[in-house]
Amino acid sequence: MKYGEFKAPKGVIKVELLLSGDVISRISLSGDFFIYPEEALERLESSLTGVKVDFDNLMAAVKKFYQDTGAQTPLLTPEHWVEAILRAARS
Amino acid sequence: MNWRLLPLRVDDAFMSMAIDEALLILNAEKKSPNTVRFWRWLPSAVSLGCFQSLEREVDLEAARRHGVDIVRRITGGGAVFHDHQGELTYSLVCGEEDMPRDIVESYKIICDGIVQGLKQLGIPAEFRPINDVQVNGKKISGSAQTRRWGSLLQHGTILISPDVRLMFELLKVSPEKISDKFISSVFERVTTIERELGRRPSFEQVREAMIKGFERALNVDLVEGELTRAELDLAAKLRPKYASKEWLRKR
Repeated sequence: MKYGEFKAPKGVIKVELLLSGDVISRISLSGDFFIYPEEALERLESSLTGVKVDFDNLMAAVKKFYQDTGAQTPLLTPEHWVEAILRAARS
Repeated sequence: MNWRLLPLRVDDAFMSMAIDEALLILNAEKKSPNTVRFWRWLPSAVSLGCFQSLEREVDLEAARRHGVDIVRRITGGGAVFHDHQGELTYSLVCGEEDMPRDIVESYKIICDGIVQGLKQLGIPAEFRPINDVQVNGKKISGSAQTRRWGSLLQHGTILISPDVRLMFELLKVSPEKISDKFISSVFERVTTIERELGRRPSFEQVREAMIKGFERALNVDLVEGELTRAELDLAAKLRPKYASKEWLRKR
């Protein structure tokens, strides 16, 4: 299991990652951030599963997650999630 | 407008979280009025944000050693040590329509209750987005909010005189050891009512000040009331979830 974290302006995003080649086979996100509605975090994890770990693919997946769910994450942007995931992938 | 004010309660972590959720559910069903309550934790406890990893945030062995309960909240945010002797906690439940849609705006209004309450005590404080109240840049209160089924729950701490050393024994804040140097750096970032006033007001005095503060910030009258039978029954039904390993170890 790979692990990485990123301190965003509000909240630390912690990422546990299992890769199959360069594709996410399992991902677990945790931290002291806020997401509305709360159930959306599980949606984010599932929308990242199967995604190739490079900046463009991750950004596309995270942005699509926001569009599909309408989730709100005060002071957290798609870039913050992607940075945390890339850090875990590089660990 | 009148909102209900509940009497001070002292409960264990699981019951307190269950009461908060029961109020949220029943408010959404229009069976509970908008409510403010102040309460304390017995025994002292660590509450974990909804999305936090138990193992990564809490020293389980230290919690066992000190007889401190651990509970996962339904609200996001960070892990908090709630000292039975040193913290007054508040919860507020209302309809989503009674607050701005914008989340940070609603935090600002509710946290202003704390700001106004501290002002009553003679402490100049200010809201710091998203969810903190600060005195001269030092945090004195932290809050967390959730919105479900059309209603809103916000709960948070009011630090009177918590045991900061124990706090850092329980929470895995950083790889740094709990040196005196580290503790003093924490004192630069966190403050308490006792520290700001140079004396320690009673829980009742702090509660009275906060009641006035919330009345002012929310522009409502807080009218004393009691938990209803339906609220207590639902809380009793919800409590086992909060006390369960499955919920605690969810992440």
